[in-house]
Formats: sequence, structure tokens, C-alpha cells
Amino acid sequence: MRDTMDGLDRSILIVDDEAELLEMVRGVFLRAGYRQVLTAADGPQALALCAASRPDIVILDVMMPGMDGFEVLRQLRRHSSVPVLMLTARGEAEDKFTGFACGADDYLAKPFLPRELLFRVQAILRRSAPSGRRVRLAAAEVDLENAEAHRGGEVTPLTAKELLLFRKLYENAGRIVTTGALCAAVCGPVWQGYESTLATHIRHLREKLEANPSKPVSIVTVKGLGYRLELPGAKGAAR
Amino acid sequence: MNPVRRFFRRYVLSTVGLLALLLAANVLLIVGLLVLWEATPPRESFSITAFCGQLSQGPDGWQASAEAAAMLDPGAWAMVLDPDGNVVWEYQMPDALARHYSAGAVAMLSRWYLEDWPMTVWAQDDGSLVAVAQPKGSMVKYYLAMDKGYFGFLSMLFSVVVYANLLLIVALFLHSARRVEKAMGPILNGINSVAGGKPVHLREDGELAEISAGLNRAAAYIARKDNTRADWIRGVSHDIRTPLSVILGYASQLEEDPALPEAARAQAAVIRRQSEKLTGLVADLNLSTKLEYALRPLELRPLDAVELARQAVTEVLNGGLPEGYTLTFAEAEPGARLTLAGDPALLGRMLANLVHNCVDHNPGGCAIEVGVGPAAGGVLFTVTDDGVGLPPEKLQSLNRGAPLPSTQPDAPHAAEHGLGLRIVRQVAAAHHGRLSFAAAAPHGLAVRVWLPKR
Repeated sequence: MRDTMDGLDRSILIVDDEAELLEMVRGVFLRAGYRQVLTAADGPQALALCAASRPDIVILDVMMPGMDGFEVLRQLRRHSSVPVLMLTARGEAEDKFTGFACGADDYLAKPFLPRELLFRVQAILRRSAPSGRRVRLAAAEVDLENAEAHRGGEVTPLTAKELLLFRKLYENAGRIVTTGALCAAVCGPVWQGYESTLATHIRHLREKLEANPSKPVSIVTVKGLGYRLELPGAKGAAR
Repeated sequence: MNPVRRFFRRYVLSTVGLLALLLAANVLLIVGLLVLWEATPPRESFSITAFCGQLSQGPDGWQASAEAAAMLDPGAWAMVLDPDGNVVWEYQMPDALARHYSAGAVAMLSRWYLEDWPMTVWAQDDGSLVAVAQPKGSMVKYYLAMDKGYFGFLSMLFSVVVYANLLLIVALFLHSARRVEKAMGPILNGINSVAGGKPVHLREDGELAEISAGLNRAAAYIARKDNTRADWIRGVSHDIRTPLSVILGYASQLEEDPALPEAARAQAAVIRRQSEKLTGLVADLNLSTKLEYALRPLELRPLDAVELARQAVTEVLNGGLPEGYTLTFAEAEPGARLTLAGDPALLGRMLANLVHNCVDHNPGGCAIEVGVGPAAGGVLFTVTDDGVGLPPEKLQSLNRGAPLPSTQPDAPHAAEHGLGLRIVRQVAAAHHGRLSFAAAAPHGLAVRVWLPKR
């Protein structure tokens, strides 16, 4: 299966008791090209929809009358591992911890920018990409399951570290990922001193993925900060 | 030292000092009065030896000089007894008295009185005895004699009682001071805590229960007021979040809707930008309140300062900068590892706020550079822009702690909108850092935040 524009064929369930916010968020995803956008106005309805339609991701408001978002998440987690992004009007650290403790995948405080929400959802969907998915780049394709780069008719294997690195860049496609965050993705929280090795990995990745590794268009260096993965045709899609 | 302990140490020392002063005053008084007594012109006191000097024994018996009579007080009399107890000379001796005294009578009168006349006697070389009677009631005669062992015991008893009393006074005083300290200590500590904005709850028992209760009420009142204010701000910012999300969402969608005319999309962009500002303001207000009332504890951990600055810059860039602005990152010593203990979320917010300040204060656009480098005992973050900058007097007032003034010419009262900067100050202060403002060359503003390594 090929990655067609960041999984626009995947279904999204949005849960919020505020009808206008629900409508606005639905509009954001429809405009971004997602075709299956479901909505629920309360917890019980959300649980019923999850069971019936099996969405690929749930966007869940925390503060809802009756059953709050944490409770919905707890009940959902009994029989489903669907990725969940919590929306909250509080934005407090305790809320964040409760959310993650209940099994949330990400957390976004209101008010949020539509592009931020889109980006987070895309990142989660990329992380939970179904097996066999391929990421299309300007000059190559990456087979995430088999850790292979396909360029022209040539297939090159990716090392474990190159794959980790590529996944991190892909989850944040279109955004700068700092050197530290990339090093941490490859070798854990104590990464200091790894920067030069990271540069070597990036060079190898470019050799496998770019048409002209000395003039990269997919894995772009952002001076002093880190790198950014550019997907073809995705420029501005998060906006 | 704890101010309460210091207070009681001084209290005990001053009381010991007072006791010493009291003792010294007593000694001084006694010595002073004695000296005064000695210094008064000597009262003519009778001396029996001088009197004897005025008596002489001639062939005709005992003779007294003219001075001898003058030496006697009026009403006094004198006699001389020979070794057999016969009166051989007398002067103004009452007739009623005997003229012969047995050895026993002589022993009695020499020690005590003769018919209530207090007697003073002196033995002469020849065995005769000169006896002078002072006027009745003019003299007190006591005779003290006791067993030597008993006298030793009495003097020991006296010293023991004196020293035991002194010790007891000191012990009782220390005990009483300790009691006062125990009662007052929590109250004084409570006052300190209230002054420092910390919660206080004292036990309301004992003699000072009312004071403790009053302090508890005061602390509860202050806490309630703070909480009310923080709750109010939290409540408002909470209620504003959902409507703001809807406004932001629709404004963004309208801005990107190709079916709309260009002018309408430009207006939607203005709504979106202003809503974003409002979003930042709500977040700043919430955080500033939390920092102000210490509702958000610092989460200190070892940090890589370079990566921290990179993350902050990256987040601003990923969030999108308006047109006309550029943001770059520079390491003063590339490759140097700079570590510090800090709260990553707060420090990231501080740097982001400084960058947003550059944007807010240069509506015409500018180039912003975030720098990080080692500095004496810590790390120096710099946020520099090449914008309009600030006049020297404004820089000076900023360095003194004033809020950041508006640079927008249409602000009628040059309203101060330094909430973002207020957070920068609060975060720097919470990390024991220093914040300074300077002019950038050739124009613009340079903000420096120095944070200690710790």
C-alpha cells in the first residue's frame, strides 16, 4: 500500500460537547483532504461510534458534561488501542499527566491553531502507519516495514539507526527536528557527543534517498538547528 | 541564624546582663555607702585607751587630767578598781552604786552592763581596772561565742544558700525564657512565613492561642485572596479557550479559502493573527499568575543549554514566523557543551517570549538571532534584533526593572504590554539569573539572559 498524501483515506473521530468547535474541527480535516471524519457530542456516543466504525484516530475533548474525556479514554482502552489525541481547555501539567496515564498518544491545549492540530494528527497517523506502507520522497521511496530505500530500480537496505532517524524525521515531516532530538531518537536521552555520528548517518541516508546527495531536497539541513524532511507536494499542507 | 533563635539568644543574654548589672549595682551601693560613712567628719567617739592615758597614779592616789572629764559624754561616769575590787577613784559615779565589786561582778560588768549602764573597761599594768559607764541607752552590747565547728557549719550554710539561690534564679529564668520561646517561636516563624507568602497553620492552644488564631486567620485570608485571584484568572482563561479555538480555526480556514476575494482573505488573516496574539496572552497570563503565586513549582533538571535554545528557536520556526522576519541560531563556541540546571519548559518559554517580543516591537519586520554561549560561571543566552531598538533612557529603565513600553505609535497612552517580558523576568529570577537590555549595533535591541550553572 502506498502512502497517498499522509493517509487521507484514514478515518478520524472528533469528540467535543461544543457543537461549533466540533464543526470547525471537522471542517479543518475535510479541507485538508480527509474523507472520513466522524463526530460525537458526548462520551457514550463516542464509545458507540468507536465500536461501530473503528476510526484510525480519536480526537477527544477532556471537559465534557457527564462522562469526561479521561473516563471515555479509560473505557476505550479496555478493548481498543486506537490512537487518541486529547484536547483540553486547561492546559495544565496535571491534566497532561492524567491524559498520558490513561493512555493518550498526544495532548493539545486549547486554543490551538488548525495547522498544529493537523500536524499532530498526521504525526500520530504516521507513527501508527499500517505495515507495508511506503513513504514517497522526491527521488526515492522508503519501505518502513522492510527498512529499504527504493530509488529508480535500485533497492538499498537501511540500517537500524538510519531507519530510526528516518522515522523521527517522517513523523515530523515539514518541520525542523533539532540535532538533539534526532540524536535522542537514535541513542536515547544521553546523546551528548553523538552529533558527528548523526551527521554521518544523515550523509548515508542522503546517499540512499537523494537524487543528488550534495544538493539534498528531501532531508534538508537547517543551519545550526537540525534537519527537516520535505515530502513532495506536502509543502504548506499543514497550514 | 533563624531570626527567632537570634531574638531569644539576645533575650537570654540581655537578661543575664541585667542580673549581672543588678549584682554590680548592689556591690557598688554597699561599697559606696561605706565609703560615704567613712568620709563623713569623724564623730567624737569615746576611746577607753585615750581616757586611760589621761589618768595617772600619784602618791595621793589616782589623778585625772582636765581633758579626761571633757572626754566623757554628759551623763557618763568613770571609776578605777584596785586588784581587790575596791573603787579607788571615781568621777560622777552615782552614789547608789556599790564601791566594792567581787571578781564575778567585775566579770559581769566588763562584758555586759552595770545597773543598765553600758560599761567599757581597760586593765592597767598594775592590775587595777579603769571602768567607764556610758549614758544608759547609748550603746548596744552583744556577746557572740560559739563552737568552732558550728560556726564553720553556719558559714558553709550561708554560702550554700547564697549560691543555690543564684543558681536557682538562673535556672528558673532560663526555664521561663525557654517556655516563652516555645510559645512565641511558632508565632514568629508563622509571621515570617506569612511575609514570605507561604502557607501557615498554627496550633491554637496555650496562653497565646488567640494570637495563633489571629495569625491563622490572616494567613488564610491572604491565601484565599491569592487563590481567588489565581482562580479568577484561570477561570477566565479557561472559558476563553474554546471560543478562541473556534475563532482561530475559522479565521485560518477563511484565510486559506481560494474561493474568497483577496481582501476578505487578508481580513481573515488579521483576525487569525490577532487571535494568535490573544492565545499567547492567555497562556502568558496564566503562567505569570502561577509563577507569581508560586503555584507552579520549578522542575529543575540538568539541561543542554545549546539544545534548549535550538528547541526554542525550532518551535518558533515550526509555528511559523510572519513575513518580513527571519530567525537564526548561533553558538558562541560551536561544539562546546553547556549544561545548566533549569526548568526546560519555562526556559523554552522565556526564549520564545523574547523572540515574540522582537516581532511585536518591530511591526516592519526584522532579523532576529538567538545566541547561546558560555559566560562567567554560567550560560549566556542572547536574543538580538536589527529593528527599531529603544532609546537609551528606555533601556536604562528596563534594566532597572520597568515593564517593556509599547513601541507602537498609535498606542494612545503608550500602554505597557510587557506580560511576555514579565514572564521572562520571572523565569530568570526563579533560576537566579540576570536579565539585561542593550542597544544592538548598528540598530535594534539585544537582550541578554545570564543563568548560573548551579
